[in-house]
Amino acid sequence: MESFEFLRNVTIGQYFEGHSVVHRIDPRAKITVLVVLAIVNGFMFSYLGNAVLLAVCIGSVLASGISFRFMLSGIKPALPFILMLALLQLLFSGAAYRPYGMPSQTYWQWDGLSVTSGSIQLVSITLMRFLEIFLLVSLLTATSTITDLAYAIESMLRPLQRFGVPAHELSLVGTIALRFVPIFAEQLETLMKAQASRGADFGRGGIFGFVKTARQLVSLLVPLFVDAFRRAEELILAMEARCYTGGRGRTRLVRFRMRRLDRAVVVAALVFAGLMLVFRDRFWF
Amino acid sequence: MSAAQPVIQVTDLHHTYLRNTPLEVTALKGATLEVLPGEIAGIIGRSGAGKSTLVQHLNGLIRCRQPGKVIVDGQDMADPSIDLKAIRQKVGLIFQRPEQQLFERLVGDDIAFGPKKLGMPPDQRRERVRWAMEMVGLDFEQFKDRYTFSLSGGEMRKAAIAGVLALQPRVLILDEATTGLDPRSRKELLARMLNLHDQHGVTLILVSSNMDEVAQLADRITVMDGGQTVMHGAARQVFGQPEQLSRHGLGVPQVSALAHRLSQRGLTVPRTPLTVAEAAEELWRVLSS
Repeated sequence: MESFEFLRNVTIGQYFEGHSVVHRIDPRAKITVLVVLAIVNGFMFSYLGNAVLLAVCIGSVLASGISFRFMLSGIKPALPFILMLALLQLLFSGAAYRPYGMPSQTYWQWDGLSVTSGSIQLVSITLMRFLEIFLLVSLLTATSTITDLAYAIESMLRPLQRFGVPAHELSLVGTIALRFVPIFAEQLETLMKAQASRGADFGRGGIFGFVKTARQLVSLLVPLFVDAFRRAEELILAMEARCYTGGRGRTRLVRFRMRRLDRAVVVAALVFAGLMLVFRDRFWF
Repeated sequence: MSAAQPVIQVTDLHHTYLRNTPLEVTALKGATLEVLPGEIAGIIGRSGAGKSTLVQHLNGLIRCRQPGKVIVDGQDMADPSIDLKAIRQKVGLIFQRPEQQLFERLVGDDIAFGPKKLGMPPDQRRERVRWAMEMVGLDFEQFKDRYTFSLSGGEMRKAAIAGVLALQPRVLILDEATTGLDPRSRKELLARMLNLHDQHGVTLILVSSNMDEVAQLADRITVMDGGQTVMHGAARQVFGQPEQLSRHGLGVPQVSALAHRLSQRGLTVPRTPLTVAEAAEELWRVLSS
Protein backbone atom coordinates (compact mmCIF):
# COMPACT_ATOMS: atom_id res chain seq x y z
CA MET A 1 0.00 0.00 0.00
CA GLU A 2 1.00 3.61 0.50
CA SER A 3 1.23 4.33 -3.15
CA PHE A 4 -2.04 5.39 -4.70
CA GLU A 5 -0.89 5.89 -8.26
CA PHE A 6 -3.23 3.69 -10.27
CA LEU A 7 -2.61 5.24 -13.64
CA ARG A 8 0.88 3.84 -13.43
CA ASN A 9 -0.59 0.40 -14.03
CA VAL A 10 -3.14 1.26 -16.68
CA THR A 11 -1.17 0.91 -19.89
CA ILE A 12 -3.88 -0.61 -22.07
CA GLY A 13 -6.19 2.11 -23.29
CA GLN A 14 -3.72 4.93 -22.69
CA TYR A 15 -2.88 7.05 -25.71
CA PHE A 16 0.56 8.58 -26.21
CA GLU A 17 0.99 11.34 -28.68
CA GLY A 18 3.60 10.74 -31.32
CA HIS A 19 4.42 10.98 -34.99
CA SER A 20 5.91 7.57 -35.66
CA VAL A 21 4.94 5.38 -38.59
CA VAL A 22 2.77 3.31 -36.26
CA HIS A 23 0.90 6.43 -35.18
CA ARG A 24 0.27 7.47 -38.76
CA ILE A 25 -1.16 4.20 -40.04
CA ASP A 26 -4.91 4.30 -40.61
CA PRO A 27 -6.64 2.89 -37.52
CA ARG A 28 -8.67 0.51 -39.69
CA ALA A 29 -5.44 -0.92 -41.07
CA LYS A 30 -4.10 -1.25 -37.53
CA ILE A 31 -7.19 -3.10 -36.35
CA THR A 32 -7.00 -5.42 -39.36
CA VAL A 33 -3.35 -6.17 -38.67
CA LEU A 34 -4.15 -6.81 -35.00
CA VAL A 35 -6.90 -9.28 -35.90
CA VAL A 36 -4.72 -11.06 -38.46
CA LEU A 37 -1.79 -11.38 -36.06
CA ALA A 38 -4.11 -12.52 -33.27
CA ILE A 39 -5.34 -15.33 -35.53
CA VAL A 40 -1.76 -16.36 -36.27
CA ASN A 41 -1.08 -16.19 -32.54
CA GLY A 42 -3.94 -18.63 -31.97
CA PHE A 43 -2.37 -21.24 -34.22
CA MET A 44 1.24 -21.02 -33.09
CA PHE A 45 2.38 -23.77 -30.79
CA SER A 46 6.08 -23.96 -31.66
CA TYR A 47 9.02 -22.12 -30.07
CA LEU A 48 10.36 -20.79 -33.32
CA GLY A 49 7.00 -19.59 -34.63
CA ASN A 50 6.32 -17.68 -31.44
CA ALA A 51 9.82 -16.25 -31.38
CA VAL A 52 9.23 -14.81 -34.84
CA LEU A 53 5.85 -13.43 -33.83
CA LEU A 54 7.23 -11.94 -30.63
CA ALA A 55 10.02 -10.32 -32.61
CA VAL A 56 7.44 -8.73 -34.91
CA CYS A 57 5.49 -7.39 -31.91
CA ILE A 58 8.56 -6.01 -30.18
CA GLY A 59 9.73 -4.51 -33.46
CA SER A 60 6.41 -2.67 -33.88
CA VAL A 61 6.56 -1.34 -30.33
CA LEU A 62 10.10 -0.06 -30.91
CA ALA A 63 8.99 1.53 -34.18
CA SER A 64 6.27 3.43 -32.33
CA GLY A 65 8.82 5.16 -30.12
CA ILE A 66 6.92 4.36 -26.94
CA SER A 67 8.94 3.21 -23.96
CA PHE A 68 8.99 -0.58 -24.05
CA ARG A 69 9.64 -0.77 -20.33
CA PHE A 70 6.59 1.32 -19.54
CA MET A 71 4.39 -0.83 -21.74
CA LEU A 72 5.57 -3.96 -19.98
CA SER A 73 4.89 -2.39 -16.61
CA GLY A 74 1.18 -2.81 -17.39
CA ILE A 75 1.57 -6.55 -16.80
CA LYS A 76 2.88 -6.08 -13.28
CA PRO A 77 -0.45 -6.20 -11.40
CA ALA A 78 -1.37 -9.42 -13.24
CA LEU A 79 1.99 -11.05 -12.62
CA PRO A 80 1.03 -13.10 -9.51
CA PHE A 81 -1.87 -14.70 -11.38
CA ILE A 82 0.22 -15.37 -14.46
CA LEU A 83 2.94 -17.05 -12.40
CA MET A 84 0.40 -19.11 -10.50
CA LEU A 85 -1.21 -20.33 -13.72
CA ALA A 86 2.18 -21.07 -15.23
CA LEU A 87 3.12 -23.15 -12.20
CA LEU A 88 -0.12 -25.14 -12.34
CA GLN A 89 0.34 -25.77 -16.04
CA LEU A 90 3.92 -26.83 -15.50
CA LEU A 91 3.03 -29.40 -12.83
CA PHE A 92 -0.34 -30.75 -13.91
CA SER A 93 -0.32 -30.86 -17.69
CA GLY A 94 2.92 -32.80 -18.08
CA ALA A 95 1.23 -36.09 -18.90
CA ALA A 96 -1.47 -34.69 -21.12
CA TYR A 97 0.46 -32.26 -23.29
CA ARG A 98 2.78 -33.60 -25.92
CA PRO A 99 5.49 -31.31 -27.18
CA TYR A 100 5.13 -29.99 -30.63
CA GLY A 101 7.41 -31.68 -33.15
CA MET A 102 9.66 -33.34 -30.57
CA PRO A 103 9.67 -36.63 -28.65
CA SER A 104 8.40 -36.20 -25.12
CA GLN A 105 10.85 -36.32 -22.27
CA THR A 106 10.07 -36.55 -18.60
CA TYR A 107 12.34 -34.59 -16.28
CA TRP A 108 10.62 -35.06 -12.94
CA GLN A 109 7.71 -37.08 -11.68
CA TRP A 110 5.93 -37.45 -8.36
CA ASP A 111 2.49 -38.86 -7.61
CA GLY A 112 0.58 -37.53 -10.60
CA LEU A 113 2.67 -34.37 -10.89
CA SER A 114 5.23 -34.27 -13.60
CA VAL A 115 7.46 -31.88 -15.46
CA THR A 116 8.01 -32.92 -19.05
CA SER A 117 9.43 -31.24 -22.11
CA GLY A 118 5.78 -30.97 -23.18
CA SER A 119 4.68 -29.04 -20.10
CA ILE A 120 7.71 -26.78 -20.26
CA GLN A 121 6.86 -25.99 -23.84
CA LEU A 122 3.22 -25.40 -22.97
CA VAL A 123 4.18 -22.89 -20.26
CA SER A 124 6.72 -20.98 -22.33
CA ILE A 125 4.48 -20.85 -25.38
CA THR A 126 1.51 -19.68 -23.32
CA LEU A 127 3.58 -16.89 -21.79
CA MET A 128 4.90 -15.83 -25.15
CA ARG A 129 1.45 -15.82 -26.72
CA PHE A 130 0.07 -13.81 -23.84
CA LEU A 131 2.89 -11.29 -24.18
CA GLU A 132 2.33 -10.97 -27.93
CA ILE A 133 -1.40 -10.26 -27.57
CA PHE A 134 -0.74 -7.86 -24.69
CA LEU A 135 1.82 -5.89 -26.70
CA LEU A 136 -0.39 -5.74 -29.79
CA VAL A 137 -3.45 -4.47 -27.93
CA SER A 138 -1.41 -1.97 -25.91
CA LEU A 139 0.25 -0.74 -29.07
CA LEU A 140 -3.08 -0.26 -30.84
CA THR A 141 -4.53 1.87 -28.05
CA ALA A 142 -1.23 3.65 -27.38
CA THR A 143 -0.91 4.89 -30.94
CA SER A 144 -4.53 5.62 -31.88
CA THR A 145 -6.81 8.11 -30.19
CA ILE A 146 -10.12 6.84 -28.92
CA THR A 147 -12.08 8.81 -31.51
CA ASP A 148 -9.94 7.32 -34.29
CA LEU A 149 -10.60 3.83 -32.98
CA ALA A 150 -14.31 4.50 -32.67
CA TYR A 151 -14.44 5.78 -36.22
CA ALA A 152 -12.48 2.80 -37.47
CA ILE A 153 -14.73 0.29 -35.73
CA GLU A 154 -17.80 2.06 -36.96
CA SER A 155 -16.66 2.13 -40.56
CA MET A 156 -15.52 -1.49 -40.43
CA LEU A 157 -18.87 -2.60 -39.02
CA ARG A 158 -20.90 -0.52 -41.47
CA PRO A 159 -21.24 -3.30 -44.08
CA LEU A 160 -22.90 -5.39 -41.36
CA GLN A 161 -25.53 -2.73 -40.73
CA ARG A 162 -27.66 -4.36 -43.40
CA PHE A 163 -27.97 -7.38 -41.15
CA GLY A 164 -29.10 -5.29 -38.20
CA VAL A 165 -25.71 -4.72 -36.53
CA PRO A 166 -25.85 -1.32 -34.79
CA ALA A 167 -22.44 -0.13 -35.98
CA HIS A 168 -22.57 3.42 -34.70
CA GLU A 169 -24.01 2.48 -31.32
CA LEU A 170 -21.45 -0.28 -30.78
CA SER A 171 -18.55 2.05 -31.51
CA LEU A 172 -20.08 4.71 -29.26
CA VAL A 173 -20.42 2.27 -26.38
CA GLY A 174 -16.83 1.20 -26.88
CA THR A 175 -15.60 4.79 -26.94
CA ILE A 176 -17.42 5.72 -23.77
CA ALA A 177 -16.19 2.62 -21.97
CA LEU A 178 -12.57 3.29 -22.91
CA ARG A 179 -12.82 6.99 -22.14
CA PHE A 180 -14.03 6.29 -18.63
CA VAL A 181 -11.22 3.95 -17.64
CA PRO A 182 -8.75 6.69 -16.67
CA ILE A 183 -11.53 8.76 -15.10
CA PHE A 184 -12.52 5.92 -12.80
CA ALA A 185 -8.91 5.10 -12.05
CA GLU A 186 -8.46 8.67 -10.89
CA GLN A 187 -11.71 8.66 -8.93
CA LEU A 188 -10.69 5.42 -7.23
CA GLU A 189 -7.39 7.00 -6.29
CA THR A 190 -9.12 10.00 -4.71
CA LEU A 191 -11.55 7.75 -2.84
CA MET A 192 -8.78 5.56 -1.49
CA LYS A 193 -6.96 8.63 -0.27
CA ALA A 194 -10.12 10.02 1.32
CA GLN A 195 -10.93 6.78 3.11
CA ALA A 196 -7.32 6.33 4.16
CA SER A 197 -7.50 9.83 5.62
CA ARG A 198 -10.21 8.68 7.96
CA GLY A 199 -8.56 5.51 9.09
CA ALA A 200 -9.07 2.91 6.36
CA ASP A 201 -6.14 0.61 5.91
CA PHE A 202 -6.00 -0.94 2.47
CA GLY A 203 -4.09 -4.05 1.59
CA ARG A 204 -2.91 -4.95 5.04
CA GLY A 205 -5.38 -7.81 5.49
CA GLY A 206 -2.72 -10.42 4.79
CA ILE A 207 -3.39 -13.65 2.91
CA PHE A 208 -6.02 -14.87 5.35
CA GLY A 209 -7.49 -11.46 5.87
CA PHE A 210 -9.27 -11.42 2.55
CA VAL A 211 -12.67 -11.10 4.21
CA LYS A 212 -11.41 -7.95 5.89
CA THR A 213 -9.90 -6.74 2.62
CA ALA A 214 -13.18 -7.38 0.81
CA ARG A 215 -15.05 -5.42 3.47
CA GLN A 216 -12.66 -2.52 3.01
CA LEU A 217 -13.53 -2.52 -0.68
CA VAL A 218 -17.14 -1.66 0.14
CA SER A 219 -15.97 1.79 1.19
CA LEU A 220 -14.58 2.25 -2.33
CA LEU A 221 -17.07 0.42 -4.51
CA VAL A 222 -20.22 2.08 -3.19
CA PRO A 223 -19.00 5.65 -3.83
CA LEU A 224 -17.49 4.57 -7.13
CA PHE A 225 -20.84 3.20 -8.33
CA VAL A 226 -22.69 6.27 -7.13
CA ASP A 227 -20.20 8.38 -9.05
CA ALA A 228 -20.53 6.23 -12.17
CA PHE A 229 -24.29 6.65 -12.22
CA ARG A 230 -23.98 10.36 -11.65
CA ARG A 231 -21.53 10.71 -14.52
CA ALA A 232 -23.73 8.59 -16.78
CA GLU A 233 -26.65 10.88 -16.11
CA GLU A 234 -24.54 13.95 -16.77
CA LEU A 235 -23.34 12.42 -20.02
CA ILE A 236 -26.92 11.72 -21.11
CA LEU A 237 -27.88 15.30 -20.37
CA ALA A 238 -24.89 16.65 -22.25
CA MET A 239 -25.71 14.48 -25.27
CA GLU A 240 -29.37 15.47 -25.21
CA ALA A 241 -28.41 19.12 -24.91
CA ARG A 242 -26.38 18.80 -28.10
CA CYS A 243 -29.27 17.15 -29.92
CA TYR A 244 -27.62 13.77 -30.22
CA THR A 245 -29.80 11.51 -32.34
CA GLY A 246 -27.50 8.65 -33.22
CA GLY A 247 -25.30 8.06 -36.24
CA ARG A 248 -27.86 8.67 -38.98
CA GLY A 249 -26.90 11.54 -41.21
CA ARG A 250 -23.89 12.49 -39.13
CA THR A 251 -20.83 13.75 -40.98
CA ARG A 252 -17.23 13.97 -39.84
CA LEU A 253 -14.62 16.68 -39.86
CA VAL A 254 -11.71 14.27 -40.27
CA ARG A 255 -12.15 11.49 -42.79
CA PHE A 256 -9.75 8.64 -43.15
CA ARG A 257 -8.63 7.38 -46.47
CA MET A 258 -6.54 4.26 -46.89
CA ARG A 259 -3.24 5.33 -48.36
CA ARG A 260 -0.52 3.28 -49.97
CA LEU A 261 1.27 2.83 -46.64
CA ASP A 262 -1.89 1.51 -45.00
CA ARG A 263 -2.58 -0.95 -47.79
CA ALA A 264 1.04 -2.07 -47.78
CA VAL A 265 0.90 -2.75 -44.04
CA VAL A 266 -2.29 -4.80 -44.36
CA VAL A 267 -0.93 -6.77 -47.32
CA ALA A 268 2.34 -7.39 -45.51
CA ALA A 269 0.46 -8.66 -42.45
CA LEU A 270 -1.68 -10.95 -44.60
CA VAL A 271 1.34 -12.35 -46.43
CA PHE A 272 3.21 -12.83 -43.16
CA ALA A 273 0.19 -14.55 -41.61
CA GLY A 274 -0.28 -16.77 -44.64
CA LEU A 275 3.35 -17.87 -44.59
CA MET A 276 3.29 -18.51 -40.84
CA LEU A 277 0.13 -20.57 -41.10
CA VAL A 278 1.13 -22.55 -44.18
CA PHE A 279 4.55 -23.41 -42.85
CA ARG A 280 3.63 -23.76 -39.20
CA ASP A 281 4.32 -27.52 -39.37
CA ARG A 282 7.81 -26.85 -40.70
CA PHE A 283 8.79 -25.09 -37.49
CA TRP A 284 10.08 -28.31 -36.03
CA PHE A 285 11.33 -26.70 -32.87
CA MET B 1 4.03 32.60 19.23
CA SER B 2 7.49 32.74 17.70
CA ALA B 3 8.93 30.46 20.36
CA ALA B 4 6.49 27.65 19.60
CA GLN B 5 7.73 24.62 17.73
CA PRO B 6 5.93 24.35 14.35
CA VAL B 7 3.57 21.33 14.06
CA ILE B 8 4.25 21.10 10.38
CA GLN B 9 7.46 22.00 8.66
CA VAL B 10 8.04 21.36 4.99
CA THR B 11 11.31 22.31 3.42
CA ASP B 12 12.18 22.33 -0.26
CA LEU B 13 9.76 19.56 -1.18
CA HIS B 14 9.74 18.03 -4.65
CA HIS B 15 7.24 15.63 -6.11
CA THR B 16 6.67 14.13 -9.54
CA TYR B 17 3.58 12.06 -10.27
CA LEU B 18 3.99 8.87 -12.32
CA ARG B 19 7.73 9.21 -12.22
CA ASN B 20 9.67 7.24 -14.82
CA THR B 21 6.66 6.85 -17.08
CA PRO B 22 5.82 8.81 -20.23
CA LEU B 23 3.00 10.44 -18.25
CA GLU B 24 5.09 12.01 -15.52
CA VAL B 25 4.01 15.40 -14.23
CA THR B 26 6.06 17.49 -11.84
CA ALA B 27 3.76 19.00 -9.25
CA LEU B 28 6.18 20.28 -6.63
CA LYS B 29 9.65 21.69 -7.06
CA GLY B 30 10.71 23.37 -3.90
CA ALA B 31 7.65 23.89 -1.72
CA THR B 32 8.10 25.25 1.77
CA LEU B 33 5.51 25.47 4.51
CA GLU B 34 5.49 26.13 8.21
CA VAL B 35 2.45 25.84 10.42
CA LEU B 36 2.50 26.76 14.09
CA PRO B 37 0.30 24.95 16.60
CA GLY B 38 -3.05 26.67 17.07
CA GLU B 39 -2.82 29.00 14.12
CA ILE B 40 -4.95 29.22 10.99
CA ALA B 41 -2.74 28.89 7.95
CA GLY B 42 -3.86 29.66 4.43
CA ILE B 43 -2.43 28.17 1.26
CA ILE B 44 -3.40 29.96 -1.92
CA GLY B 45 -2.37 29.66 -5.53
CA ARG B 46 -3.89 29.23 -8.96
CA SER B 47 -5.02 25.77 -10.04
CA GLY B 48 -2.12 23.50 -10.83
CA ALA B 49 0.14 25.31 -8.39
CA GLY B 50 0.67 22.15 -6.34
CA LYS B 51 -1.46 22.97 -3.28
CA SER B 52 -3.26 19.64 -3.15
CA THR B 53 -0.07 17.70 -3.70
CA LEU B 54 1.55 19.60 -0.88
CA VAL B 55 -1.20 18.95 1.66
CA GLN B 56 -1.40 15.28 0.74
CA HIS B 57 2.15 14.98 1.99
CA LEU B 58 1.07 16.22 5.39
CA ASN B 59 -0.83 13.09 6.39
CA GLY B 60 1.26 10.61 4.48
CA LEU B 61 -1.00 10.02 1.49
CA ILE B 62 2.03 10.83 -0.58
CA ARG B 63 5.30 9.71 0.96
CA CYS B 64 8.30 11.82 0.26
CA ARG B 65 10.82 9.66 -1.51
CA GLN B 66 11.97 12.61 -3.56
CA PRO B 67 14.09 15.55 -2.43
CA GLY B 68 12.66 17.55 0.44
CA LYS B 69 11.72 17.11 4.04
CA VAL B 70 8.32 16.90 5.70
CA ILE B 71 8.15 17.00 9.48
CA VAL B 72 4.79 16.54 11.13
CA ASP B 73 4.59 16.88 14.89
CA GLY B 74 8.29 16.21 15.22
CA GLN B 75 8.25 13.11 13.04
CA ASP B 76 10.07 12.85 9.74
CA MET B 77 7.55 11.53 7.22
CA ALA B 78 10.27 9.91 5.13
CA ASP B 79 10.96 7.47 7.95
CA PRO B 80 9.45 4.16 6.80
CA SER B 81 8.72 3.02 10.35
CA ILE B 82 6.32 5.80 11.32
CA ASP B 83 2.76 4.89 12.24
CA LEU B 84 0.74 6.34 9.39
CA LYS B 85 -2.55 5.60 11.08
CA ALA B 86 -1.51 7.69 14.08
CA ILE B 87 -0.41 10.51 11.77
CA ARG B 88 -3.70 10.40 9.90
CA GLN B 89 -5.58 10.58 13.17
CA LYS B 90 -3.55 13.60 14.17
CA VAL B 91 -3.79 15.35 10.83
CA GLY B 92 -7.26 15.24 9.29
CA LEU B 93 -7.61 15.98 5.60
CA ILE B 94 -10.91 16.98 4.04
CA PHE B 95 -10.89 16.64 0.30
CA GLN B 96 -12.63 18.64 -2.36
CA ARG B 97 -16.27 17.51 -2.58
CA PRO B 98 -15.99 15.20 0.42
CA GLU B 99 -19.63 14.09 0.08
CA GLN B 100 -18.45 11.74 -2.68
CA GLN B 101 -16.73 9.50 -0.16
CA LEU B 102 -19.86 8.53 1.82
CA PHE B 103 -20.70 4.85 1.53
CA GLU B 104 -22.57 3.54 4.59
CA ARG B 105 -26.33 3.21 4.55
CA LEU B 106 -26.89 5.30 7.66
CA VAL B 107 -25.34 8.66 8.42
CA GLY B 108 -24.26 7.65 11.92
CA ASP B 109 -22.48 4.53 10.66
CA ASP B 110 -20.61 6.50 8.06
CA ILE B 111 -19.33 9.01 10.60
CA ALA B 112 -18.39 6.14 12.92
CA PHE B 113 -16.18 4.59 10.23
CA GLY B 114 -12.99 6.28 11.45
CA PRO B 115 -13.45 5.63 15.18
CA LYS B 116 -14.35 2.02 14.38
CA LYS B 117 -11.11 1.63 12.45
CA LEU B 118 -9.31 2.93 15.51
CA GLY B 119 -10.85 0.04 17.44
CA MET B 120 -12.90 2.18 19.80
CA PRO B 121 -15.61 0.55 21.96
CA PRO B 122 -19.21 1.27 20.78
CA ASP B 123 -20.22 3.71 23.54
CA GLN B 124 -17.09 5.79 23.04
CA ARG B 125 -17.64 5.65 19.32
CA ARG B 126 -21.15 6.96 19.83
CA GLU B 127 -19.82 9.89 21.82
CA ARG B 128 -17.34 10.71 19.09
CA VAL B 129 -20.07 10.65 16.47
CA ARG B 130 -22.31 12.84 18.61
CA TRP B 131 -19.49 15.32 19.11
CA ALA B 132 -18.52 15.39 15.43
CA MET B 133 -22.12 15.88 14.32
CA GLU B 134 -22.58 18.69 16.80
CA MET B 135 -19.41 20.33 15.47
CA VAL B 136 -20.71 20.43 11.89
CA GLY B 137 -24.26 21.34 12.89
CA LEU B 138 -26.14 18.10 12.29
CA ASP B 139 -28.54 17.12 15.06
CA PHE B 140 -27.43 13.74 16.41
CA GLU B 141 -30.86 12.31 17.22
CA GLN B 142 -32.40 13.61 14.05
CA PHE B 143 -29.74 12.60 11.57
CA LYS B 144 -27.92 9.55 12.86
CA ASP B 145 -30.47 7.08 11.49
CA ARG B 146 -31.20 8.87 8.23
CA TYR B 147 -30.24 7.20 4.97
CA THR B 148 -26.96 8.70 3.78
CA PHE B 149 -28.07 9.07 0.21
CA SER B 150 -31.33 10.78 1.12
CA LEU B 151 -29.52 13.83 2.52
CA SER B 152 -29.30 17.09 0.63
CA GLY B 153 -25.99 18.12 -0.90
CA GLY B 154 -25.12 20.46 1.97
CA GLU B 155 -26.06 17.90 4.62
CA MET B 156 -23.99 15.25 2.87
CA ARG B 157 -21.00 17.52 2.95
CA LYS B 158 -21.50 18.14 6.66
CA ALA B 159 -21.76 14.41 7.29
CA ALA B 160 -18.57 13.78 5.33
CA ILE B 161 -16.71 16.44 7.27
CA ALA B 162 -18.02 14.98 10.52
CA GLY B 163 -16.53 11.67 9.37
CA VAL B 164 -13.08 13.24 9.47
CA LEU B 165 -13.73 15.21 12.67
CA ALA B 166 -14.76 11.99 14.44
CA LEU B 167 -11.06 11.12 14.56
CA GLN B 168 -10.55 14.32 16.59
CA PRO B 169 -7.56 15.51 14.61
CA ARG B 170 -5.36 18.20 16.10
CA VAL B 171 -4.61 19.62 12.69
CA LEU B 172 -7.39 19.92 10.14
CA ILE B 173 -6.69 20.54 6.48
CA LEU B 174 -9.55 21.82 4.34
CA ASP B 175 -8.71 21.39 0.66
CA GLU B 176 -11.22 23.65 -1.10
CA ALA B 177 -13.88 22.34 1.25
CA THR B 178 -16.39 25.08 0.45
CA THR B 179 -16.39 24.63 -3.33
CA GLY B 180 -19.85 24.17 -4.78
CA LEU B 181 -21.72 25.37 -1.70
CA ASP B 182 -24.12 28.28 -1.76
CA PRO B 183 -22.88 31.47 -0.02
CA ARG B 184 -24.87 30.87 3.13
CA SER B 185 -23.68 27.25 3.64
CA ARG B 186 -20.19 28.42 2.83
CA LYS B 187 -20.34 31.02 5.57
CA GLU B 188 -21.86 28.57 8.03
CA LEU B 189 -19.23 25.93 7.35
CA LEU B 190 -16.39 28.40 7.83
CA ALA B 191 -17.95 29.66 11.05
CA ARG B 192 -18.13 26.11 12.36
CA MET B 193 -14.52 25.45 11.46
CA LEU B 194 -13.55 28.69 13.16
CA ASN B 195 -15.45 27.55 16.23
CA LEU B 196 -13.52 24.29 16.17
CA HIS B 197 -10.33 26.30 16.17
CA ASP B 198 -11.41 28.70 18.94
CA GLN B 199 -13.10 26.19 21.25
CA HIS B 200 -10.93 23.13 20.76
CA GLY B 201 -7.62 24.60 19.68
CA VAL B 202 -7.53 22.74 16.38
CA THR B 203 -4.89 24.01 13.99
CA LEU B 204 -6.51 24.80 10.65
CA ILE B 205 -4.93 24.76 7.22
CA LEU B 206 -7.16 26.30 4.58
CA VAL B 207 -6.43 25.59 0.96
CA SER B 208 -8.54 27.87 -1.14
CA SER B 209 -8.77 29.87 -4.29
CA ASN B 210 -11.26 32.23 -2.68
CA MET B 211 -9.21 35.18 -1.40
CA ASP B 212 -11.98 36.72 0.68
CA GLU B 213 -12.43 33.49 2.57
CA VAL B 214 -8.75 33.09 3.34
CA ALA B 215 -8.33 36.73 4.28
CA GLN B 216 -11.15 36.51 6.82
CA LEU B 217 -9.70 33.56 8.66
CA ALA B 218 -6.02 32.97 8.08
CA ASP B 219 -3.29 34.36 10.33
CA ARG B 220 -0.50 33.55 7.94
CA ILE B 221 -0.53 32.81 4.26
CA THR B 222 1.63 30.77 1.93
CA VAL B 223 1.37 31.52 -1.77
CA MET B 224 2.26 28.80 -4.25
CA ASP B 225 2.91 28.97 -7.96
CA GLY B 226 4.39 26.42 -10.33
CA GLY B 227 5.09 23.94 -7.54
CA GLN B 228 7.05 26.43 -5.46
CA THR B 229 6.35 28.57 -2.46
CA VAL B 230 6.63 32.09 -3.83
CA MET B 231 5.43 34.24 -0.94
CA HIS B 232 4.61 33.77 2.65
CA GLY B 233 3.94 35.88 5.65
CA ALA B 234 1.16 37.42 7.71
CA ALA B 235 -2.14 37.72 5.85
CA ARG B 236 -2.05 41.51 5.95
CA GLN B 237 1.45 41.61 4.59
CA VAL B 238 0.73 39.21 1.71
CA PHE B 239 -2.50 40.91 0.69
CA GLY B 240 -0.73 44.27 0.88
CA GLN B 241 1.19 43.36 -2.26
CA PRO B 242 -1.44 43.09 -5.00
CA GLU B 243 1.03 43.52 -7.88
CA GLN B 244 3.13 40.59 -6.79
CA LEU B 245 0.04 38.44 -6.20
CA SER B 246 -1.33 39.18 -9.62
CA ARG B 247 1.96 38.06 -11.12
CA HIS B 248 1.12 34.64 -9.66
CA GLY B 249 -2.36 34.71 -11.11
CA LEU B 250 -4.07 35.73 -7.89
CA GLY B 251 -6.16 38.62 -6.77
CA VAL B 252 -6.61 40.18 -3.36
CA PRO B 253 -9.78 40.31 -1.25
CA GLN B 254 -12.24 42.88 -2.54
CA VAL B 255 -11.77 45.20 0.43
CA SER B 256 -7.98 45.07 0.14
CA ALA B 257 -8.27 45.90 -3.55
CA LEU B 258 -10.47 48.85 -2.68
CA ALA B 259 -7.94 50.17 -0.17
CA HIS B 260 -5.15 49.70 -2.66
CA ARG B 261 -7.01 51.61 -5.34
CA LEU B 262 -7.75 54.43 -2.93
CA SER B 263 -4.05 54.62 -2.11
CA GLN B 264 -3.24 54.86 -5.80
CA ARG B 265 -5.63 57.79 -6.10
CA GLY B 266 -3.86 59.55 -3.26
CA LEU B 267 -5.97 58.58 -0.26
CA THR B 268 -3.51 56.57 1.79
CA VAL B 269 -4.95 53.69 3.80
CA PRO B 270 -2.13 52.73 6.19
CA ARG B 271 -3.38 49.28 7.21
CA THR B 272 -4.56 46.84 4.49
CA PRO B 273 -8.07 45.79 5.53
CA LEU B 274 -8.94 42.10 5.27
CA THR B 275 -12.62 42.14 6.16
CA VAL B 276 -15.50 44.46 5.46
CA ALA B 277 -15.62 45.54 9.11
CA GLU B 278 -11.93 46.40 9.08
CA ALA B 279 -12.31 48.31 5.85
CA ALA B 280 -15.16 50.39 7.27
CA GLU B 281 -13.11 51.18 10.36
CA GLU B 282 -10.01 52.09 8.34
CA LEU B 283 -11.93 54.28 5.95
CA TRP B 284 -13.72 56.00 8.79
CA ARG B 285 -10.37 56.80 10.40
CA VAL B 286 -8.75 57.99 7.16
CA LEU B 287 -11.69 60.11 6.11
CA SER B 288 -12.25 61.67 9.52
CA SER B 289 -8.63 62.69 10.08
